[in-house]
Amino acid sequence: MLKAKIFRVLVPALALMFLAAPALAAGELAKIKEAGKIRIGVFSDKPPFGYVDENGDHRGYDVYLARRLAQDLLGDENKIEFVLVEAASRMEVLESNKVDLILANFTVTPERAQRVDFAKPYMKVALGVVSPANAPVTDVAQLRGQKLIVNKGTTADIYFAEKHPEVNLLKYDQNTEAFNALRDGRGAALAHDNTLIFAWINENPGFVSGISFLGNLDSIAPAVKKGNTELLDWLNEEIVRLGQENFFHKNYDATLKPIYGDTVDPETVVVEGGVLE
Amino acid sequence: MLDSALNVFRQGRNLARLMEGLWVTLEISAVSVLLSMLLGIVVGLLMTTRKPLWRAAARLYLELVRFVPILVLLYIFYYTLSRNWGINLEAKIVAVLVFTLWGTAEMADLVRGAATSLPAHQRESGRAIGLTESQINRYVIIPQAVRRLIPGVINLTTRMIKTTPFVFFINVPELTKVGQQIVEVAGMKNYMASFWVYAFIFFIYFAVCYPISRFSGFLEKKWEN
Amino acid sequence: MSTAQPVLRIRDLHKKYDRLEVLHGISLDVPRGRVLVVIGPSGCGKSTLLRCINGLEAIESGDIELNGESISSGKTRWNLVRQKIGMVFQSYDLFPHMTVMGNILLGPLKAQGRDRREVTREAEQLLDRVGLLDRKDSYPRQLSGGQKQRVAIVRALCMNPEIMLFDEVTASLDPEMVREVLDVMLGLAERGMTMLIVTHEMAFARAVADKIIFMDQGVIVESAPPNVFFENPVSDRARRFLNIFQFDGVKKEEQPHVES
Repeated sequence: MLKAKIFRVLVPALALMFLAAPALAAGELAKIKEAGKIRIGVFSDKPPFGYVDENGDHRGYDVYLARRLAQDLLGDENKIEFVLVEAASRMEVLESNKVDLILANFTVTPERAQRVDFAKPYMKVALGVVSPANAPVTDVAQLRGQKLIVNKGTTADIYFAEKHPEVNLLKYDQNTEAFNALRDGRGAALAHDNTLIFAWINENPGFVSGISFLGNLDSIAPAVKKGNTELLDWLNEEIVRLGQENFFHKNYDATLKPIYGDTVDPETVVVEGGVLE
Repeated sequence: MLDSALNVFRQGRNLARLMEGLWVTLEISAVSVLLSMLLGIVVGLLMTTRKPLWRAAARLYLELVRFVPILVLLYIFYYTLSRNWGINLEAKIVAVLVFTLWGTAEMADLVRGAATSLPAHQRESGRAIGLTESQINRYVIIPQAVRRLIPGVINLTTRMIKTTPFVFFINVPELTKVGQQIVEVAGMKNYMASFWVYAFIFFIYFAVCYPISRFSGFLEKKWEN
Repeated sequence: MSTAQPVLRIRDLHKKYDRLEVLHGISLDVPRGRVLVVIGPSGCGKSTLLRCINGLEAIESGDIELNGESISSGKTRWNLVRQKIGMVFQSYDLFPHMTVMGNILLGPLKAQGRDRREVTREAEQLLDRVGLLDRKDSYPRQLSGGQKQRVAIVRALCMNPEIMLFDEVTASLDPEMVREVLDVMLGLAERGMTMLIVTHEMAFARAVADKIIFMDQGVIVESAPPNVFFENPVSDRARRFLNIFQFDGVKKEEQPHVES
């Protein structure tokens, strides 16, 4: 799912963004209101964040937020034109003005922040380690000299190669291959985005997320076209406003909880009011 | 197990969604093939004129379009045009545009081949039995040119249908993308879903393309005489 | 006979390709029911002459009349004129996508708008005459070269033309197929068809022609009945041309060496 081949670090650029002076001349909000709909880029095949369900309706954590934004901006949660984006095209669609806004599990990185403007985060992601329930790995120290399954080029791969060279990495190209390898017992554990691991263990009862929170904490935020400060400011205010009514926890309960189950603490995923703890 | 795996087609509107995806595929292919045929005839005839400038221009177009990958063309017309020149085209329009650019080049080459392979005295023979020029075109030239073109046109059509999944790149949900959406949702609970969905898509492509190429084979056989 | 109007009358015909003049003032008459055979070396303009007659080549000056009516005025509706002038070419020029019958019927049905049943009956009679009735549903590629040329002749005949033009119709044929085509043409001559024939078959020319037209370098050099022309050609050029078809014997014992 969250195929993060991107180098992740915490984002000093965020601070810069918050300080950016609003350019009033843009009139971007007025344009959206005039069009009567907001164009939002979402994933169509990345449950539980952005996907199309069996009835053809857009669903997921990102989509739940998208509908609320349309409600608050245009007075109708259906006044959205969903544009189906791919992970690789998220910046392109903004730069080429195909969408007003991206809500597609978009992890904030300094490289990306040079090309698009990120609003305040609404979700966070870290690494998690999943292992068999009967031999749980709860500390990285347990992995010394053991085989750890990762996906090539992902955050997990990079993190363990740099920080824990004592762990032997078993690398796969595809998510399904990697998880099948874990099921077959070819490694002691598997490291990936914790959000993905939560979803997987809920469907695979024999496994547990022994480590739910590892490495850098990355934030996931809406993105707008570089310089679209009017929409950016509105988004930032909106995210703070929504935090006051605990909206993102409601979103979690509606979209992620059915997938993650009760075993996951919402606080490991949800960012409320744009404040990353 | 088979039954539960096949449930993926019974859930909600999944089957209808696949058919809608197929419709997008066929729509883009059909419109593009049609436009390619019309424009390809024009460009192809330009390539056979005695005017060297026209011929060179047509030749250049043909070589350029054929050697630039479809993905690059899609990128340029969907993203670059909008980003750098503010020409913001709708994704489906871009899909038809790019496929038509490509199809026109292929078609032009087919037309050039068919036109140059028709001997000149076919026209003279028609004149010699008192036919008017339009009668000659209708009864002598066009039927023969069409016979020479049909296999190539059908080949182009099936290639176009099979190339449509590229339009995922500009965010158009055609058959394969819809299949992927279904697999990713159903696959969380149903491990066989991806196998069945992709098998089904394979079958649909086959069901669409096979009759087309059989039809071509039938015509070739019929016209062999 | 000389007072009757000729089917075809050509006066002072000039034709150029770019700057090269290929016909310099050709004049000839083809009376009804007569056969004229045009012979001459390659490039003498004889094929061009035929192509000018049915408008496949534009002419520079001169006049061509068909049954007393000028067909070189520039206002000529060639599709109508060509219905009266049958032409058969050197190359096999049948339409490959049509059967033998389809080839023959196309002109009468589409150009002349005649009744299908009537034309079909006529076509079958003509095919029978050239011995190809059993091939009427064949496609051209299933026929030999000689058969194709016989069908091409029938295709032209079925238009009921006033005159038939033959442009070296046996030149591309294998030798064993030449005869069957020439026999068909002889048969036509016997039935009184008016014909203008370009050929290199000298024996055939002698047998079929009422008059031989000898052309060289775009002019008519000599024109005479066949026995006169072949036995006592007047011009040097005609003599030289005819010599090409004569061979001196080389068997030394039988043929005493006369000249040095």
